[in-house]
Amino acid sequence: MKVFINLKEWDFPNGTKFIDVVDIIREAKKNEPMIKTIREKTGKANIILFALNGRVVQPQEYESLEIKEGDNIRWFHPYAGG
Amino acid sequence: MKSIWNKILKVDLTARTCKTEQMPDEVYQKFLGGAGMNAYILWRECPRGTTTFDPANRLTFAPGPMQGLKQSGAAKWTAGAISPSINMNADSAATASFGIEIKEAGYDAIVVHGRSDKPVYVIVDDEKTEIKDAADLWGKNAYEAEDGIQEAEGEKFECVTIGQAGELGVRYANIQSRKKSFVGRCGLGAVMGSKMLKGIAIRGSQSVEVHDPKEVDRLNKEINKRLAELDKLNDEWLQIKRVGTALATELFAPQGNLPIKNYQLADFPSGVKNFHASNYAKQLNAKPWPCQYCTIQCHNNCEVKQGPYAYKGKGPEYESFAMVGFNTMVDDIKAVAYACELANLYSMDTISLGVVIAWAMECYEKGVITKKDTYGLDLSWGNAEAMVEIVRKIGTRADGLGYLLGEGTRIASERLGGGSEDWAVQMKGQEIAAHNWRAQYISALNYCTGVASGPNHERGNSQHIWVGHVRLPEWGIDEVENEERWSWNKTADRNAKFHDYCNVINSACHCKFMEFRGYTLTDLCNTINAATGMGWSLEDLRRCGDRITQLQKLLNIRYGWKKEHDFKYPKRFMEPVQEGPAAGKVPVGLEGAIMDYYKERGWDEEGRPTAAKLKEVGLEDFIE
Repeated sequence: MKVFINLKEWDFPNGTKFIDVVDIIREAKKNEPMIKTIREKTGKANIILFALNGRVVQPQEYESLEIKEGDNIRWFHPYAGG
Repeated sequence: MKSIWNKILKVDLTARTCKTEQMPDEVYQKFLGGAGMNAYILWRECPRGTTTFDPANRLTFAPGPMQGLKQSGAAKWTAGAISPSINMNADSAATASFGIEIKEAGYDAIVVHGRSDKPVYVIVDDEKTEIKDAADLWGKNAYEAEDGIQEAEGEKFECVTIGQAGELGVRYANIQSRKKSFVGRCGLGAVMGSKMLKGIAIRGSQSVEVHDPKEVDRLNKEINKRLAELDKLNDEWLQIKRVGTALATELFAPQGNLPIKNYQLADFPSGVKNFHASNYAKQLNAKPWPCQYCTIQCHNNCEVKQGPYAYKGKGPEYESFAMVGFNTMVDDIKAVAYACELANLYSMDTISLGVVIAWAMECYEKGVITKKDTYGLDLSWGNAEAMVEIVRKIGTRADGLGYLLGEGTRIASERLGGGSEDWAVQMKGQEIAAHNWRAQYISALNYCTGVASGPNHERGNSQHIWVGHVRLPEWGIDEVENEERWSWNKTADRNAKFHDYCNVINSACHCKFMEFRGYTLTDLCNTINAATGMGWSLEDLRRCGDRITQLQKLLNIRYGWKKEHDFKYPKRFMEPVQEGPAAGKVPVGLEGAIMDYYKERGWDEEGRPTAAKLKEVGLEDFIE
């Protein structure tokens, strides 16, 4: 099924869980300097945050949520700046 | 077109008249409002030869089509004029509720021109307008001026005011609103002062009609909720709502992005420790001070109860901490917060101020100035007491060094000489903000080629591709490698997109900080369409940004820009630092990148828009 992550089309099998998407993004970003810095300072794994079809997905939903055809997923860094 | 009034207010301070003028839909369809409106007004009314302190200079205060919507970030507005720092067209944005109130009074902009023969302030109460005597307020600081106007007119008026620095022509004087938000860059407060205009107060009771109220309401609810929830999911010290942008100092340090010791160093451990977000919250007793409708609430109200730096008021943001603290190597958080609030009272931009003071400290270190010049102050790096005192000298334009520093680093270094031009971290007359070119080369390209307000981190924020991990997937900026920050790969394209992005968002008048908590270009486009009914695509949005950028470039040329100005960048950034991730990195190849940017923009070899490009963006009638 087609799913959009930051507007880019991805192909996932039916029944894919949201956590699978989370893991892909986490793995791709794990060596980025700010991600590493924040992980070291907070000790947290859930640093990148996600929205599904405009709504924030809470970390406790990652495991249970199943993605659907046409879903629009966005990921965000935990940053603020000036 | 909806969500506009098709009407602006023209204030002529020489003739002492206030008149309304109709504005056709076409202007908004081309330039939206805000920054686009500022550029359009300058284009139409300030011909070649108009200078910054000329009464003919137009000072425009403009909200955009987003004002009146109850969306987080929709409290933004802009001011624009020919700037005393860069001597070209410039604009700068602020928040609080002044822009919302302009809209509720039934206007899309207030355009001030002329010069009063005595101090005045302007009152706008829906359709009723009046120019009033401000003799009692002249000489007062910016907050006292706001208090004075509200005492006379009533607290329900939203105000903009200037302090002494604006009156006295400090070239980086700002304009404040609600004692918390500032039109910071480019010295527009000095333009206001040159017109003898101490303040404007406005109150409105009208609601502008939007195209699709139900869709606006749906978008507001979805977006406001998303932004708030994303912020809340972070640790407390990473929540914008808790500490604003002050948290960025600690995150930027490992990236080599901070300005330290006039951009000479890459590490300042005591600064990183003392300016930590949790220290900010505790030491300064910071509490959220939200703008209207905002759910992420980056502004803070602070209170230092005791000691030499006791104050209650605005808490410093990232740029203020970085420039007034790190760049001068003052690591006393209370002293820096106090100095920044002093700057606010006098009405001075803390970015330029921090660079100017650091430049003076380097002059002192190198013996170009001595205690004879510094009023006996020991202007050594890190001396908090001297730093605070020199802020007072600049704010009041004290004879000697205080006056000179109020001219900005370009003029000051030219006058002082002694080699000090080599460490004047400015370009085109404006001081460089707290994003280090060595940490991401794209910052160098942004500063060299920016046309909206000279070199400016806010009017082309491409640094945030790396330092803030902001992405614009709608316009093709998504997957970016960390190592690319030290290459020129795709920088022309990315830089152009971020220049255009900043123009659409500053013309729609929405807060760019929302992007740090999940606001997207799709959100912006959907909201503009729901409000105005224009039915724009994401490509139309880009085209609007491009059009405004091209118009600003035409204005640059009109007011004296030359190609060589883009290549006269601060020497400091070509001197490598020895520590951190940017050690040994300098933006070699910048000249070629500038030429690539010209090509990307549709400009010729001299950096001028081609006739074909202007036709492409619908500006064929703007060719001079």
